[in-house]
Amino acid sequence: MSGDVATGGVPVVEVTQRFRFAAAHRMHNPRLSAEENRRLYGRCNHANGHGHTYRVAVTIRGPIATETGRLEDRDRLCEIVQARVLDRFDQADLDGLITPADGVTSTAEVLTGVLWRILEEALPAGRLVRLRVEETPNNICELDSDGRGEQRPRSGK
Amino acid sequence: MIRLTKRVEFCAAHRYVNPRWGEDENRRRFGKAVNLHGHNYVLEVTIQGTPAPDTGMVMDLKALKDLIVDAVLIHLDHKNLNVDVPALVGRLPTPENLAVTIWGLLAPRLVGGSLYRIRLCEDDGSAVDYYGEWDRP
Repeated sequence: MSGDVATGGVPVVEVTQRFRFAAAHRMHNPRLSAEENRRLYGRCNHANGHGHTYRVAVTIRGPIATETGRLEDRDRLCEIVQARVLDRFDQADLDGLITPADGVTSTAEVLTGVLWRILEEALPAGRLVRLRVEETPNNICELDSDGRGEQRPRSGK
Repeated sequence: MIRLTKRVEFCAAHRYVNPRWGEDENRRRFGKAVNLHGHNYVLEVTIQGTPAPDTGMVMDLKALKDLIVDAVLIHLDHKNLNVDVPALVGRLPTPENLAVTIWGLLAPRLVGGSLYRIRLCEDDGSAVDYYGEWDRP
């Protein structure tokens, strides 16, 4: 129903779905001294932790399914995010969920990489094209499938 | 090249029904969206081009707004997308198909900049972006 009669082709679209979850964390690199941690992470190193309402925007890309008029996997995306991200990360302590293999501490960059790998594994190859994680409205991290916005270590607080 | 976006809103009703499926199958696939309902759509039209030296503009935003009204909104605003829009006949009125349709209505009439992206939001939680791309078999 959405196909082009002349060519038999279908349009390719991108769909972005937004979600939010509330989580606690503390920036702390166990390989550094207390003083070095304080200098590097500032108030984010506060011993008892703090938290954010993280806002996440997931963008997938693909052809419009002819029978439904919708991007394939669009409905499944919400189920995947619910089961694999929100059920785990909402009302949770990120520092219990992020391992040393993910990164040295739960920065927005490390968290974005963790969420990217979770979503990429659950979706068909090539479907995930962009992930935007807003730690606060002022601190935003993005990853693209074409390598733009590649993860970089945090250089300051 | 620089990109320029005009944002407009329109209100319309729609429902999702594939005429090849029975009522039960439609309800199973589309849930409550089989019922007639509506949205306050937000449409962002993004063009790209080079600012003219004389004006500093890729395109006069007022002219772009007038074109969006004349080419798109006059067909969609306060309409029933299932029955009132000739360009949508035979297609389910999803935001995906609507974005592609809006591209088709606007692109041939743009003078100055070229169409870069149609972004359509039914609500704050999601957006569809169309860049004019086709997947050829």
